[in-house]
Amino acid sequence: MVALLALAPVMLVTLLIGLRGVAAMRTTSDFLVASRRVSPLLNSAAVSGEYLSAASFLGVAGLVVKDGIGSLWYPVGFTAGYITMLILVAAPMRRSGALTVPDFAEARLASPALRRLSALVVLVIGVLYLVPQFRTAGLVLSAVSATPYWVGVVIAGAVVSATIALGGMRAATYVQAFQFFLKLLLFIIPAVWLVVQVGPDVRHDAVHPVEFTVFEHDTTVSFRVDAILETEEPTPVVAPDGSTTTLGPGQHTIEAGRTLVFAEGAPVPGIRGDAPLGGPDWQRPLLNLEDAGHPLLSTIAVIVAIVLGTMGLPHILMRFHTSPDGRSARRTAAITVALLSVFYLFPGVYGALGRVLLPQLYLSGATDTVIVALPSQVDTGWAGTLMTAMLTVGAFAAFLATSLGLLLVISGAIAHDLVPAGLRKLRFSAVPAAAAIVLLALPSAHLDAGLLVTWGFTVASSTFCPLLVLGIWWSRLTAQGALSGVIAGLLASSGSILVALFGPPLDGWPAILIVQPAPWSVPLAFATMVAVSLHGSPAPWSRTAMLRLHLDEEHVRGSARRPPDAT
Amino acid sequence: MPHRSKRVAVTSPQTRLAHSRGRARGRWRVPRLDQGDAERAAVLYRRQRVQGLLALALITALLLGLPLLFAAWPELDELRLLGIPLSWLVLAVLPYPAMVLLAGWQLYRAERTEER
Repeated sequence: MVALLALAPVMLVTLLIGLRGVAAMRTTSDFLVASRRVSPLLNSAAVSGEYLSAASFLGVAGLVVKDGIGSLWYPVGFTAGYITMLILVAAPMRRSGALTVPDFAEARLASPALRRLSALVVLVIGVLYLVPQFRTAGLVLSAVSATPYWVGVVIAGAVVSATIALGGMRAATYVQAFQFFLKLLLFIIPAVWLVVQVGPDVRHDAVHPVEFTVFEHDTTVSFRVDAILETEEPTPVVAPDGSTTTLGPGQHTIEAGRTLVFAEGAPVPGIRGDAPLGGPDWQRPLLNLEDAGHPLLSTIAVIVAIVLGTMGLPHILMRFHTSPDGRSARRTAAITVALLSVFYLFPGVYGALGRVLLPQLYLSGATDTVIVALPSQVDTGWAGTLMTAMLTVGAFAAFLATSLGLLLVISGAIAHDLVPAGLRKLRFSAVPAAAAIVLLALPSAHLDAGLLVTWGFTVASSTFCPLLVLGIWWSRLTAQGALSGVIAGLLASSGSILVALFGPPLDGWPAILIVQPAPWSVPLAFATMVAVSLHGSPAPWSRTAMLRLHLDEEHVRGSARRPPDAT
Repeated sequence: MPHRSKRVAVTSPQTRLAHSRGRARGRWRVPRLDQGDAERAAVLYRRQRVQGLLALALITALLLGLPLLFAAWPELDELRLLGIPLSWLVLAVLPYPAMVLLAGWQLYRAERTEER
């Protein structure tokens, strides 16, 4: 309850910033020019602040508990994405003067059709990226306040859309930068406190995993999502009303919302579709998607999707425009690698401790809540409550930062690229967008968090990554080629996701290539773009349009001026 | 009467985007570079491409090499450093300093190319 109260200030401050944005953020053009001279350090803190989402703050540690140590590949990919961004995209993208990929498409290839298609892709990526954010926010709110999952999701959606409708989209660079350092502190301090506080035995157990086979004490499990338990021997369980039943050998479906108490010494049932907690598979530093048994392929598929997908995340690309020129955009990307590297050292700590102290979360399906549930396992006094409150605030701040940025990009795509409308409508197109995402998040509680988190990246890597990379580095790219490639990548990646959601269950390597299609959909998109472009002929100005992106501003003498500003 | 500069709303890039994109439409012009700029841009483009490919090769080696290492050498899970399995450390800690160094190196080379 205290943790829930601690959320109130975060929401209040966010709302206040939103309200101030409407009335008070007006000043002279001098100030405006100064605000364009954002230093690379400040800007990279803002990029990291916008990038560190609920999925990073809570999701990675939850995935470690659920799927094992291999889940630490996700943060490695999240960070490595900025290296490819630094090498391939950051400076030329800034020099193009484009704020978003739809803008870039028009600046480089002069194709309104490609602009509209890119806006549609922004929509798909944004929705896929936001659903797991809302899901995590819902799970956490329901965990700290003992309300049902749907209440948490609806509250999260209400706060986000209220903030946007009231003008919260104006939150400036320094707010995002402050948010990053806030999240960093709220993440690191409880981690260090936990490691010190748990004592030598837990620390030893954390790095010497043993398979979770027997309940060491009476354990209450509140099932947050439907689960199919697999028992090999009769397992006595106590329902909340005190009645004891025995789960015979076989499969048992437990509906979400039920609470069961497993007695001390009872065998731990397995969960269908998950590796046993702490078992040999859990300890391996490789991912095992769908339990399909090809860890190397699974790991590489996830890495490809995340690393190449980061380049096409619409809310991040826009942040780079705050840099005054291409050179400082490149510096921003490089410093972001360093800032994220500090943050991502810690999810593994929470994950390893969570496996020891909260193994029952693995059964309840609420591993996303492991971080906020940990402090009270270690200390039931004020210190534990304080740490829980810090982590809840940090998680909610992460959720808000990412969701606000993305919702604004989505509503921008709807209002400016898909339907012609003014800014007034833009503000209110965010509310139905948020509502749609809430509706999609409601039935998503049972979906695999690891997959949800990467699907937005998958679509970005199969569409915007080839468009940006070829647009910046290959002068022969034609508008027709870009269109065909983006369509091929979009159909391949989103079709594959639909098959994974609604299609028949698959086994072996086809299962991996369906739930994580990046290893084939990215090459497909690149190949289509190249093949169709080579078939046609590029516009006569095509080479100039590309070279312009590589010309450093300081040496510009003639026709190409500093990149246009967005004011 | 003293000149007073116009008051302008200071907003985040998102809001500037929202305002500008409505207006920016249909203003596309054929991109032009004068002779000198075009030559310089072509040189920069070629140099940055060579350097970028090298850096891309290094990050690919890191990201694909580590999973191969883990798959080929499962004994890494048994070795321990300070009580922690070595393979965990190689995954959870090692990539970050490596990536920071790579980012710094690439940034340095890209900037030096432009200073010529």
